[in-house]
Formats: sequence, C-alpha cells, structure tokens
Amino acid sequence: MASPQELNFLSGLLPFTGVVFLIAFGVVLLNQVFRKNLTRQKLKQEELKTVHHHELLRASIAAQEGERKRIASDLHDELGAVLSIARMHLIQLEEHSAEVQLASIRNIRTLTESALVSMRRISHELMPAQLESFGLVKTLEALATRTNTERGIQLHVLAEELPTLPWSIQLGLYRICLELITNTLKHADAHVIELRIVYRSSYLVFYYQDDGKGLPSSAIEGLGTTNIEARVSALSGRIVPSHSDGGGFALTLEIPLNNQR
Amino acid sequence: MQGISDLIIHYAYVPIVVTAGYALFVYKKLGHELRLLSWFIFFSALVQVASAFLWYQRMNNLWLLHLYVAVGFLILAMFYYAVLKGFISSRIFWIGSILFILFVIVNAVFIQGLYTYASHALTVESVLLIILSLSTFMLMMDDLFKTSKAPLVKSMNWINSGLFIYYASSLLLFYFGDLVAQLFSRTANLQIALVHFMFLTIMHFCFFVGLWHRPKN
Repeated sequence: MASPQELNFLSGLLPFTGVVFLIAFGVVLLNQVFRKNLTRQKLKQEELKTVHHHELLRASIAAQEGERKRIASDLHDELGAVLSIARMHLIQLEEHSAEVQLASIRNIRTLTESALVSMRRISHELMPAQLESFGLVKTLEALATRTNTERGIQLHVLAEELPTLPWSIQLGLYRICLELITNTLKHADAHVIELRIVYRSSYLVFYYQDDGKGLPSSAIEGLGTTNIEARVSALSGRIVPSHSDGGGFALTLEIPLNNQR
Repeated sequence: MQGISDLIIHYAYVPIVVTAGYALFVYKKLGHELRLLSWFIFFSALVQVASAFLWYQRMNNLWLLHLYVAVGFLILAMFYYAVLKGFISSRIFWIGSILFILFVIVNAVFIQGLYTYASHALTVESVLLIILSLSTFMLMMDDLFKTSKAPLVKSMNWINSGLFIYYASSLLLFYFGDLVAQLFSRTANLQIALVHFMFLTIMHFCFFVGLWHRPKN
C-alpha cells in the first residue's frame, strides 16, 4: 500500500507524463507545419529558377537574333551596295573594253553577280525581311516554293487563318522549321515534308513530318535538335511525342500564346 | 546552505546584467531578430534588478514573476517569429501568444494569485518554448533554412540551445516546485534554486555567445 507521501508524489508525476506527451505532440505538429511551408518554398524556388532559366534563354536568343539582324542589314546595305556598284562599273567597262579584256571582265562580272546572289541568300537566311512584313505563313509558303524548286522535294505548308502572332513566336517557329527542314534534307532521304500549324484559343500546335527513313541518333543529339529544344523552351512550349504515318521523322510542338513578348 | 542562498540572492543578476550590458553595447550592430532577443535580455535584467530591490525592501516580489512570464514570452515569441518568418504562419504565433497571455492573467487573478509563485504559468511557458526550440532545431537542419538564414545560423544555434537547456531543465523545477516545497526541507529547496541559477547562467552565457557570433554584415 502506497503511503500518502508516495501518492502525493505520484499524483504529481503522472500529469507530468501528459506534459511530456504535449511537448512531443507540439513538436510533431509544428514540424508538420514547417515541412509544409518548406515544400512550398522549395517549389516556389524551383519555379523561380525555371522562370530565370527561361528569361536567360530568351535574352540569349534575342541577342542572337539582334546580332543576326545587324549582320544581315550590314551585308545587304553595305556589301550589297558595294557589289552592285562594282557590277555597274564592270558593265560600263565591258561596253568600252577591247576584245582581249572583255572575257576577263565578264568573268569578274559573273563572279560579282554570284557574290550578290549569295549575299542576298545569306542575308535572307539571317533575317528574312518578309517574315516581318508578311508573317509566318506567307514566309513558310515562300520557303516551300524555294525549297521545292531548288531541292526537288515536296514541302507542303498547311496553315489555317492565324491571328497576329508575337514576333518571338513567328521568328522562333521559322527558325525551328529551318532546322527541321535542314535535318530532313541532310539525313532523311525524304520526298515529302508536311508542315501544319493549327490555332487553338490559347496556343498553337505545330506538326512536322516527313516520309524519310528517320533521323540518325547523331542528328537527334546534334546541335540542331538542341537549338530546337532551346527555342521551344524559350517560347514556354513543349515537345509532344508523336509518330509519322509514313515511318519517317515526326514532331509536334505546342506553343502557348499568352506570356509571349 | 546560508552560502548558497546568499550566492543566489546577491549574484543571480550578474550573468543577466553582463549579457544585457553586452547586448546594449552591440545593439546598433544587430539585425531585427537579435534586437528582439536583446529586448528579452534587457527586460530580464530589469525584472531581476527590480526583484532584488523589492527583496531588500522586504516586499513581496512574486507578482513580478507573473509580469516576467507574460512579457518575456511575448518577446520570445516575436523573436522566434522573426527567425521562422516564411516557414510558419503569423496566425499561429498571434493565437498562441494571446491565449498564453490570457492564461497568465487568469492564473494571476483567479488560480494561483498575484502574490504567489507563478509555477503554472512558468510550466506552460516552458512547454511552449521547448516545443518552439525543438522544432527550430529540426528546421535548422534543413538546407533551405541554412541558405535563407545563413548569417544567423551560428547565433541561432547558441541562442536556441540556451533557451532549450534553460526551459527544459526549468520545466522540471517549476512543475515539481510545489511538490518539493511541500515534501522536502528548505535545504532541498535552496539546492533546487541553485540548480535553477546555474541553468539561468548557462542560458545567458549562450545568449552572450550568440550575440558575439552575430551576423557581421
């Protein structure tokens, strides 16, 4: 039988167990709150990192495009002008030259004209002037006409009526098309390329497929594909897994139209 | 035993006053969090001096303890909130503090009385501060906390340790205070008071080191 003193001590000790339990419970509860807030903060930090990464990518692509535009304009305005003047002088020289010099002057004129054509092509590839003036679909159609004539391939552009697209999307999609067409022409042995742009209310869907033998892994892992991924990422878009009906290469992209500059 | 009681009566304020002096010296160089801790140290020093004065005047100084528990907890809750900001909702601190103050008032007026040793309030305060300090230790192990509060981590280690050591040990002393007073002799009570004094000194030593390791920029 416990003495009154022992009972008194026990009556103090037992509630103390409750106090210890209360502390443990409080710690667990508070820890749960901390964990929840930590997870939220970590997600927020990851989101910020992604946004920052996109910003960097956009800035880098914008700088690249700016530089291309400057080079294209310098080529066109300065080198183009010099070559045109040189050609004019050569034509004048041709008219007043003796028979002996005529062949050499004609050669030089042909070279100058060839240089002018190359210069215009490079300048156009660096920054297609018609993209700014006529928009993405018209530029792609012009590209298709040129490619069909020059490369003996059937490039079909199927696009419905599109709203006025932000410049970043127009330029980004145009560059992606160029990369894809270059890959197909280089590696796929394809005869037909189909390129389709579908407009949904908040995003664009871009389909690309060819009837070739597919791309080798070196081309898939190459710089072109990395560029495509970087551009899609900069446009906050995503690459959707897809397959070609003819067994060739296929790609589908979804590009959101909001948050674009 | 007379020596022990003399030691406690005459020198209990020394570690607090020394830490308060140092806190005052570096106050302008401290960030928001450590300034709040300094307020707690200043307030503790003030209460300690006032309590010694009342004791010399042979007046009851136990009502000071009720005040010390309420205001001290409020300042420490503000300190913890400043440290844990972003990791915990302010609502938890506000609700917790208001409920605790209400409890201290009810205890002082209706339960234990204003001129009685506030063992109930001290026990609850200890429980709450142990929960806060233990949870803070757990949070301090996370990389995100280490990164976001990097300059404060070293100071917090010391300060949180001091608070945990003092309140965990005091919980036992406060909780069993009434029981010890009833069951044991005056000598045992004095020994307990000496142990309390020792832990108080440890806490203020930790505060001192925590302030010493304050963020320098």
